[in-house]
Amino acid sequence: MMTMRIRSVAAIYAVLGALSGLLPGAGAAQAEPFVFTAIPDEDASQLRTRFDKVARYLARTLGVETRYIPVKSYAAAVTAFRNGQVQLAWFGGLSGVRARAMVPGSRALAQGAEDRAFVTYFIAHESTGLSESKSLPKEMAGKTFTFGSKGSTSGRLMPEFHIREAFGKAPEEIFSRVGFSGDHSRTLALVQTGAYQVGAVNFAVWERELKDGKIDPKRVRVIWRTPPYPDYQWTIRGDVDERYGNGFAQRVKAALLSMKDPDLLDSFPRSAFIPAENSDYEPIRKTARSLGLID
Amino acid sequence: MALIDFRDETAGYGGTAILEGITLRIEPGEKVAVVGESGAGKSTLLRLAYERCRNGAALVPQELGLVQSLTVFHNVYMGRLHRHSTWRNLRNLVRPAPAEVREVGAVLSQLRLEDKLFAAVGELSGGQQQRTAVGRALYHPGEILIADEPVSAVDEHQAREILETMNGEKRTVVLAMHDRALAIAFADRLVGLRNGRIVLDEPAAGMKPDDLDHLYRPAG
Amino acid sequence: MASLREASPLARTTLAFVAVALVCALFADLAVTTVNPYQELVRLLAGVVTPDFYATDNLGSALAYTLAFALLGVAFGNVLGFGLALLFFSRIVRTGCAFVRAIHELFWALIFLQIFGLSPLTGILAIGIPYAGIIAKVYAEILEEADPAPLRAVPLGSGLISTFLFARLPDAWAHFRTYSMYRLECGLRSSAVLGFVGLPTLGFHLESSFSQGRYSEVSALLILFYVVIASMRLWMRKPLLPVWLVAAAAILPWGLTVSAANMLRFFTHDIVPYPLRAPGGDTLAALGDWLHLMLFEQALPGAAATIQLTMVALVATGVLTMFFFPLVSPLLLGRWARGAGHVFLVVVRSTPEYILAFVLLQLWGPSMLPAIVALSLHNGAIIGHLIGRFTETVKLRPDASRGIDRYVYEVSPRIYRPMMALLFYRWEVILRETAILGILGIATLGFYVDSAFADLRFDRALFLILITAMLNICVDAISRAIRARLRLQTTLKHR
Repeated sequence: MMTMRIRSVAAIYAVLGALSGLLPGAGAAQAEPFVFTAIPDEDASQLRTRFDKVARYLARTLGVETRYIPVKSYAAAVTAFRNGQVQLAWFGGLSGVRARAMVPGSRALAQGAEDRAFVTYFIAHESTGLSESKSLPKEMAGKTFTFGSKGSTSGRLMPEFHIREAFGKAPEEIFSRVGFSGDHSRTLALVQTGAYQVGAVNFAVWERELKDGKIDPKRVRVIWRTPPYPDYQWTIRGDVDERYGNGFAQRVKAALLSMKDPDLLDSFPRSAFIPAENSDYEPIRKTARSLGLID
Repeated sequence: MALIDFRDETAGYGGTAILEGITLRIEPGEKVAVVGESGAGKSTLLRLAYERCRNGAALVPQELGLVQSLTVFHNVYMGRLHRHSTWRNLRNLVRPAPAEVREVGAVLSQLRLEDKLFAAVGELSGGQQQRTAVGRALYHPGEILIADEPVSAVDEHQAREILETMNGEKRTVVLAMHDRALAIAFADRLVGLRNGRIVLDEPAAGMKPDDLDHLYRPAG
Repeated sequence: MASLREASPLARTTLAFVAVALVCALFADLAVTTVNPYQELVRLLAGVVTPDFYATDNLGSALAYTLAFALLGVAFGNVLGFGLALLFFSRIVRTGCAFVRAIHELFWALIFLQIFGLSPLTGILAIGIPYAGIIAKVYAEILEEADPAPLRAVPLGSGLISTFLFARLPDAWAHFRTYSMYRLECGLRSSAVLGFVGLPTLGFHLESSFSQGRYSEVSALLILFYVVIASMRLWMRKPLLPVWLVAAAAILPWGLTVSAANMLRFFTHDIVPYPLRAPGGDTLAALGDWLHLMLFEQALPGAAATIQLTMVALVATGVLTMFFFPLVSPLLLGRWARGAGHVFLVVVRSTPEYILAFVLLQLWGPSMLPAIVALSLHNGAIIGHLIGRFTETVKLRPDASRGIDRYVYEVSPRIYRPMMALLFYRWEVILRETAILGILGIATLGFYVDSAFADLRFDRALFLILITAMLNICVDAISRAIRARLRLQTTLKHR
C-alpha cells in the first residue's frame, strides 16, 4: 500500500526529470519547418480551414515543410512572430507596424490588391434610424458602439481615429457603451441582432458576408465609409535567409505574388497580392501614435 | 550505576505540578510497576523517566503513537529508525528488505501477530494495535523498556504472554499498570502513586492486591 | 422601543455586507442590452439538445491537450507545492506562495505566452505555478494538523528525514491524495479555460463556436468536458498515474523553440516601465506621467469596478446558497428530488465561472449582470453542495417541524455559521475571478490587463497584475481577520 504510493511518487519525479531533460533538446530541432500565422480577424473556427490551404500551397511552391499555427488574438500573432516561433505572418496594418518595430530586419512582402486602399464601414441597426451619409453622422452620439478586436486596424484604429476627428472626444465620452467584439464577423452579428446599435467593420468582410447572404439588409446598414488607408500585409522575419537558405524571403514573396487560385485568394478575401514595403504603412504608424496605441 | 535517579523532582504541565517531591532510583535489571488510580501521575512519571534515559529507552506510550496508514511491519521497523541510515530507511519504506522482514517477523510471532505483517495498522483491532506498539518497543535495541498501560486492550491470557515476553526481552522494565494482580505477578518492585507523590515503594514478592487498597481509597 | 437583545456579531457582519452590496448594486450597470435575449436563449437550448460532435476541427486533440495540461500542470504544482509546504515555516516562502496564488491562471498564461510563446511550458506553468502556491498552503496545514503522537514514539536520534518519512508523511498522504484529486478537477477546468487566451484546449474551440452562435458545437464541447470531469474517478487510478503523465508529456508539441534570449528580453526590457527605457527626454517627469495614467485611468477605476462586482457577487452567492443547499439536503427533500438537485449542482459547479459568464454575456450583452449571475451561480452551487452534505450529519429530533418551518427554525440556524465561514473563504476566489472576467469586456481590472496585452505593453500589464495581486492579498487578510473575530471555522475544506 504505502509501498505503491511511494513508488508512484518516484514515478512522477522520474517523468518530471525526463521532461526537464527534454526541454533544451527541443530547442535544437533539425530541419525546422517554415511556420506562419495570421491574425484572427474573422470567425476563428474557420481559420484552420482557410490557412491550411495556404500552408499546402506554400509547401508545394517553396519545397519546404510549411505549417500554419492558429492564434487567438492579434497580440499573440505579433508575439509568435517576435519570438521567432513563426517566420511569416498575415498581419493587419497596426499589428504589422507593431511586429516590425519589435523585430529589426523584418519587412512587409506583399499586400492584397485591396489593401492599398482599405476602408472601414460604420454600420448601424435599423432601429437607430441612421442611414448612409457623407460624413460620420453626429446622431451616433449616445448610442451603443462596438469596435472589433482591440488590436485591429480596420476595426479599432481607423474608426477610433475618425470618431475622435469628428467629435473631438474619446469614444467612451461619446457613446453610452463601448465594446470590443473580438473580430469582424462578431461585430456584424452583434449589430445585426441589435446587441450594439452601431459598429465598425472591415469592408472586405462586410462585402463577402453580404455576397454569402449572411447579412439582412433590412436589419443592418452601412452609415459611413472611411477614407482609404493601407491595411493587411504579409510580413517576414529578417533572419529567414540564414535559416532557410539565401534568397528565401525573395522566394516567399514570389510565391505570394503568384498566388492565382481563386479558392485560395477568396479565403483572405483578396483578388490578388501585390508587392508591399515597410514605408507603405507609415500613415498607420503615425495614426497609432497619435491615438497613444503605440509608444 | 542507576538508570534513573530522581531526587526531590517536581514535574507538570504549564505551571501546574502533577508530581511533587519525587525521589526514585531504578537500577539496571529491575522490573518496576508503577501503580495508582488514574490521575495519580503515572503517565507523567513515565514520561519523565523516558526523557531522562537519554541513551535510548524503548517506549510504549498510552496513546500508542502508531502511524495509522503504515503497515505493521513499518510501525515495528520504526523502533530501529535511529540505527539505520536515511537511505536504508527510505528503501525499507518503499520496499521492505528480506533481512528486516525476517527480524520484524520474529518479533511479531512472539506477539502472535505474524499474520498481520503487511496489514495497515488503521485496519487492526485495538488489541492488535496495542501489540504492534509493544512490537515496536521490543524491536527497539534499547535495554530499558518504559511502557504505559501496554496490555490494557488485550485479554488476561494475552496480557500475561505479552508481559512475559517483555520481561524476557528487556533487562530493565518500567510499567504503568492499573491491574494490581498483573502488576504484582510480573514486577519485582512496586511504586505506588497518590496525588502526585510516591506513597509506596516495596518489593512485589509476597504482596496481595488488597495490600494496595489504600492507593485507591477516597482521600480522608 | 428597545430591541429584546443586541444583534449578534455574525448578524451585524451579515447586515454590513448586505448593505455594502446593495450600495454597490445601486451604482452597478445591470442592463440587459441585447434586443432579443430570449430568442438567443431558445437557439442556445436548441443547440444543447442537438450536440454535433463532428463540427469542430481537431476536437480529439483539443480534448487530449486539455487533459495533458491539467495533468502535467497539477503534477508540477503538487511536486513544487509539496516542497514549499515543507519550507512553510519561512516567512519568505509563505509570502511568495500568497503572491503567486493571488494571480489567476489566465493572467499567468498571458504572461507565459510572452515568455514561452505557444510552447507547452506556457500551459503547464500557468496551471502549475498558482497551484503550487495553493497546494503549499493546504499541505502545510495538513502536516500541521497531523497526529503528533507517532513523533513522540520515534526513537531518539532517528534523523529528521527518516522521522518525517515514517511518522509524519504517511498519515498526511491520504489527505494529499484526496486534495490532489480535487485539484485535478480544478486543473481540468483551468486547462479548458486557458483555451480562451489561445492555448489549444477545449476553451479555444468553445470560444470560437460560442461567438459564432454555433450552439450544437458548443453543446458537444461542453458534454465532452462534463464527461471528462465526471469520469475522473474511473480513469484516475494510482497505478495509471505514471502512464497518464508520460502520455501527456508525449502528446504535447515540444517542437516549438523556447529561447533564453526571449526570456531575458521579457524580464530586462519588456516589463520595465516604458519611460525608463525610452530614449532621451526627461525620464523622471515621463515616469510620473506614466504612473499617473496607470493609477488614475486604469488601476483605480479597474479596482473600484472589481470590488463593486465582487461585493455584489459575494452576497448574491450567499443568497443563492440558501436556495441551493436544500436541493441536496436529506433533511428537506426526498431521495428522487435530491437526485435531480445533485445533477443540477454538479453541472453548475463543474462549469467554470468564466465559461458561465461568457455564455450569459452572449445572451444578455455586456454589463455586470452576467458576471454577477455567473459568479453567484457557480460559487453558490459549490457552497450549497458542501452545506447540503453538512446537513447529512445533523440529527433532528423525531418530532421536529416540517416543511418551511423546518427550513427556517431547524436547519438554517444550524448551517448559518459554516455557510458564512465558506463564504468568507470564497471571497478571495470570487475577487480573483471577478478581475479575470474583465477579459470578457466588463471594466474590471482584467479589462485593462487584457488591453495592455493587446497593445503589447507588458510593462502596463504587469503593473496592473501586481495591483490585482495586492488587492487579492488584502481581501484575503480582511477575510481572515473577520473569520478570526467571528470565530468562523470549518472543517469543510474546499477552496
